[in-house]
Amino acid sequence: MATRMIVTVLALMALVLPSHAQTVDDIIKRGKLIVGVNTTTPIFGLMGKDGQPEGYDPDVARLMGKYLGVPVEFVSVTGANRIPTLLTGKVDVLICLFGITPERALQVAYSIPYASEAATLVGPGSRNVKSIDDLKGLKVGVPRGAMQDLLLSPVAADKGITLQRFDDEATGLQALISGQVDLAGTGLLVYRTLNRNDPGKSYEVKVVLRELHFGIGMRRGATDLLQWTNTFLYFIKNNGELDAISRKWRELPLGNLPVF
Amino acid sequence: MDYVFQFGAVWQDFDKLLLGAWLTVRLSAITMVLGLAVGILGAVGKGSRSRLLRGLVEGYVEAIRNTPFLVQLLFVYLGLPAAGLKLSPEQAALLAMVVNLGAYATEIVRAGIEAVPRGQVEAGRALGLGPYQIFRLVVLMPALRVVFPALASQFILVMLASSVVSVISAEELTAVADTIVARNFRSFEFYLVVTGIYLVLTLAFQSVFALIERRLFGRWAGHT
Repeated sequence: MATRMIVTVLALMALVLPSHAQTVDDIIKRGKLIVGVNTTTPIFGLMGKDGQPEGYDPDVARLMGKYLGVPVEFVSVTGANRIPTLLTGKVDVLICLFGITPERALQVAYSIPYASEAATLVGPGSRNVKSIDDLKGLKVGVPRGAMQDLLLSPVAADKGITLQRFDDEATGLQALISGQVDLAGTGLLVYRTLNRNDPGKSYEVKVVLRELHFGIGMRRGATDLLQWTNTFLYFIKNNGELDAISRKWRELPLGNLPVF
Repeated sequence: MDYVFQFGAVWQDFDKLLLGAWLTVRLSAITMVLGLAVGILGAVGKGSRSRLLRGLVEGYVEAIRNTPFLVQLLFVYLGLPAAGLKLSPEQAALLAMVVNLGAYATEIVRAGIEAVPRGQVEAGRALGLGPYQIFRLVVLMPALRVVFPALASQFILVMLASSVVSVISAEELTAVADTIVARNFRSFEFYLVVTGIYLVLTLAFQSVFALIERRLFGRWAGHT
């Protein structure tokens, strides 16, 4: 009886667990590329009016699907759950503003960079902040586990910063608009969206914490997929397709991206 | 799956998890007390002769019970500042939890009050008890005794639901675990341990409830 129950449960789990596509052939055979994107990071990833993800990352994902010759299926991930989502095989790759760090590379394999951004703190024009040292006594909202969180957490207590961690960037930005935090952690470009949606506050980038480059993340064993992805990125960096995506969403040319 | 479990990482940060659990316990305990108070007031309001009061309570209960707790929480923290009420994450979490539990408790307590036979109230009157004494001794206590198991399970639900207040940056147990996991990616180990901590909290609360039930309602045993 017990054995039969265990077998049933395992069989059900096998139905729920997606198959781990580890190679380019696996993906082509399955007929779709499953990509984890974050739809709460305006410009890089947001939910379009038609309910489909749009932005820099989804465009790169669709381009990747085009060159693989398969349609793309999107799975929404957050900064906090993206690595578990990848490691448990729910997605083939992560294209979700995924900053490259050696700690993360212990868990996942990164492609060469396909985008650059900076971890910044944004606030209203009236807020007089020029560096981290001016943050004493201020409430700073950051996306949990994101670069702003990692850079500020070790110094927050010393510098008298009240660090508030939100599950995603959008909630932190909403808290900024609501006046619940004084500054919010985001990227270089989001202040434009803020000024469109909440005019009159003259939001601007107050502190650039660090320049970041983003890679496409995959499971560490997926060397075949990694090799193909790097080849694909090399190609679209040279033929202008990636530059077009950058101009469309960032309103900036692609610029020079480092390789490794 | 070739994954090496590393529970050492959990014990390293266990004190932080306990600190988070402590906020969970405080939020939940205060919510249970205040939520029950709101529930009793709501139940009284629902049984009142004033149609306006009945309508207000009805509207409150329906609005809260038919909308997601997460949305209520976001509304309190991110929406209310537009109306001039700016609460800290912990205050906003507490308010949202009390308002939420209050609505459910209203219905539960009301059911208990309705279960009290009319004759009992009349008996109280015949014994010369005043209206307040009748309400407290003849109606409310027997009513609470009847619905105490339902209340207790609602209390547990509110404690478990407190895990979502991490979205407004209140640093309770789940938020602490999320933050640590976002740093070391040991999600399997941490969430397993956090699940265990919630289980321990639930069992602890349940034994407190059992104690309260014996203390408060023990002498009522056999009566209705």
